[in-house]
Amino acid sequence: MKKVLITDDAVFMRVSLKTMLERNGFEIVGEAENGSIAVQKYKILKPDIITLDITMPVMDGIEALEHIKAIDKNAKVIMISAMGQESIVRKAIILGATGFIVKPFNEETIVKVFKKL
Amino acid sequence: MPGDGIIREPMLEIYLFEATQLMEQLEEISIDCEKNRKIGTEAINEIFRIMHTIKSSSAMMMFNNISVLAHSLEDLFYFIRESKAINIDFEKLFDLVLSGIDFIKGEVSKIENDCDADGFCEPLVLKSSNLLQDMKEANGVIIKDDVRQKKEDTKYYISSYEKLGTEIKQKYFARIFYEDGCEMENVRAYTVVHNLKEIVSEMYHVPEDIIESDDSVEAIRRDGFLIGFSTSTSKEKIEEQLNGIIFLRELELQQVEEYPLELKALKAKIQIVLENPITEKTIYKEAILEETTDKLDTNKEEVGNIIKSGKQQSIISVNISKLDMLLDLVGEIVISEAMVTKNPDLEGLTLDNFNKASRQLRKLTNELQDVVMSIRMVPVSTTFHKMNRIVRDMSKKLNKEVELVIIGEDTEVDKNIIDHISDPLMHLVRNSLDHGLEDKEERIASSKPPMGKITLEAKNAGGDVFIIVSDDGRGLDLGKIYEKAKLQGLVTKPEGELTDKEIFACILLPGFSTNESVTEFSGRGVGMDVVKKNIDSIGGAISIESVVGRGSTISIKIPLTLAIIDGLEVAVGTSKYTIPITSIRESFKPKENDVIADSEGNEMIMIRGQAYAIHRLHRIFNIDTEVTSSNKGIMVMVEDNTKAACLFVDSLIGEQQVVVKALPTYIKKAKGIAGCTILGDGNISLIIDVNGILDR
Repeated sequence: MKKVLITDDAVFMRVSLKTMLERNGFEIVGEAENGSIAVQKYKILKPDIITLDITMPVMDGIEALEHIKAIDKNAKVIMISAMGQESIVRKAIILGATGFIVKPFNEETIVKVFKKL
Repeated sequence: MPGDGIIREPMLEIYLFEATQLMEQLEEISIDCEKNRKIGTEAINEIFRIMHTIKSSSAMMMFNNISVLAHSLEDLFYFIRESKAINIDFEKLFDLVLSGIDFIKGEVSKIENDCDADGFCEPLVLKSSNLLQDMKEANGVIIKDDVRQKKEDTKYYISSYEKLGTEIKQKYFARIFYEDGCEMENVRAYTVVHNLKEIVSEMYHVPEDIIESDDSVEAIRRDGFLIGFSTSTSKEKIEEQLNGIIFLRELELQQVEEYPLELKALKAKIQIVLENPITEKTIYKEAILEETTDKLDTNKEEVGNIIKSGKQQSIISVNISKLDMLLDLVGEIVISEAMVTKNPDLEGLTLDNFNKASRQLRKLTNELQDVVMSIRMVPVSTTFHKMNRIVRDMSKKLNKEVELVIIGEDTEVDKNIIDHISDPLMHLVRNSLDHGLEDKEERIASSKPPMGKITLEAKNAGGDVFIIVSDDGRGLDLGKIYEKAKLQGLVTKPEGELTDKEIFACILLPGFSTNESVTEFSGRGVGMDVVKKNIDSIGGAISIESVVGRGSTISIKIPLTLAIIDGLEVAVGTSKYTIPITSIRESFKPKENDVIADSEGNEMIMIRGQAYAIHRLHRIFNIDTEVTSSNKGIMVMVEDNTKAACLFVDSLIGEQQVVVKALPTYIKKAKGIAGCTILGDGNISLIIDVNGILDR
């Protein structure tokens, strides 16, 4: 079972993702509410996949992505973005994000992205 | 978007909870910013984030009107953040934000009540885009349609990689179609380009301007994304890589001699950008490692805690009805415990081991009760901060400058009580603003600071919590209140015989209102009597102090919790009653000739030179008892906030913690009875409502 760490400042989003992923055979090993906590948890939990929301307090998703890539250059990172964040997502891709999901998303979308990893 | 992916109920609940919380947070920030006429980076970011979260969550839940409004407000703050705008019309901005909050709150409460969120967000969205336009002009920003497109360097296509020159290179042409509705096709195309970069030596693509141009999304959807590249990697490998693209609908890959025409045309004007991804990466890696350590330190402790506690969040939200149920159950357990340990069958038996065990049981039930109570305790801060909004809105309308000072917002009370004091508090604050505080000119004329002050304070005192609303306004006019009360027939005693407190208390009586004219805020037919009724219903008390010209102070005393009280069990005939300990001053055995009666037969007793009325419980509740003569029974002196009197009962049984149960609904109104409780022996005891008895 693939281990996933979910990062989002909104509980709603975390629970949505968690519910959808768990129903499709992923194990959620942890949740983080900002980038900084995500980086810390990434080191400890060593998930197979980490999702990063872009807009977050303390440390945003892009910065967290940089940190995580510095720790593990093969890290599989899925960015959770919203419409209108195209240029930020592009930056994330340059920095090595594996893929991205656009909010609002549904289970089908999530499964497609995660199963391809 | 189909909602089938979501388990509706729990998600909806989380959505509502989070939305409500975020709106309150936003309201607080907004009022703060508006008050200080400045908006810091932190605040801008926070507002932006809140709007962003609301936008996405609402879209997921398909509450489109909320999502659209949040999006437009997000745009507004995005602009403020990115342009570092200085010329901000705070009043307009926060008027809009606050109306937005009201709108979202309204929709959320509709959803909470199982109605459709069908409000029209368009007027607000329009206002928001107008304001954005105004701000752009005021801040000298050249009006560009999409502020979100940040200026970025224009290296969007790559060509010419001289790698491993000895190998034979092959030219390929690929056309990629994405699945419908996958969104951000342009960024997806960019991902392909980015991933191919590593293995190709040259590459051209159509559309060429993937990210910056808005048309690129349309073009990719219509014609697909075309790429031509040359590489030494085998066709199988390339095919494998391209097939791995997420949301790939169709892939066309050909080995070609020459690129197709549409790509060829590009070749001529392509700017050659040489990039070395490897060095680039190393540099940023070094830079980051240095800063990582200190930047992460701040959150380390927090993370440590979370991880230690089993990788889970340390706080969970629980439905209040579950807590109510838990409290009810604990109440039942407390009663059952008494029923077992004080079982009449045990009387006269020597039960050493049983007593030991029952002591342990009692200790644990008490602990359980304390824990459950503490779970239900919530700080008054949320309720207090709601007043900020009222003060803001009213001071604007009434054109009075007002400062709201909040003290002791961390004080905790039971959740149920919080719900009951919110309305009375709102009323008191409104009153203070509307009637209490003078307008600016009047204040200056009476040499007061032009800005009025309303203080909201909460503090613990024993088993009670005091909530105090005070203002530095014109105060209450004792004489005027007395006259009015007399005119309304609310008082009979001459003014000299009443204490100030008693006269002030007249404004709490039904049918009393000193303000002749009805104002928009206070005079809505709900007077102070409603406030008193609300406070009474939770076993609280109100007292008023005021000095003319200096202001008034209204203190509300409320119990920490409603559910379990300390009571004194008394017997009247064969019935048992419970008197709340908090209202008892003393109890004593009277001498027969202490009791005197006036001409109408109203009895009273002289204690330390003061006369107190006597209420005989057996008369009030029509109970047959043998104890009727004063020297055989017991007097319990009880007090309300202003009055004191003696209750005459047959005998005292003992002090006991009781669980308050509401009277059954078929008993409509029982003056003098606050509720009932079940005693250890299974009997029912009625709880005396001291206020009700004294008002007789």
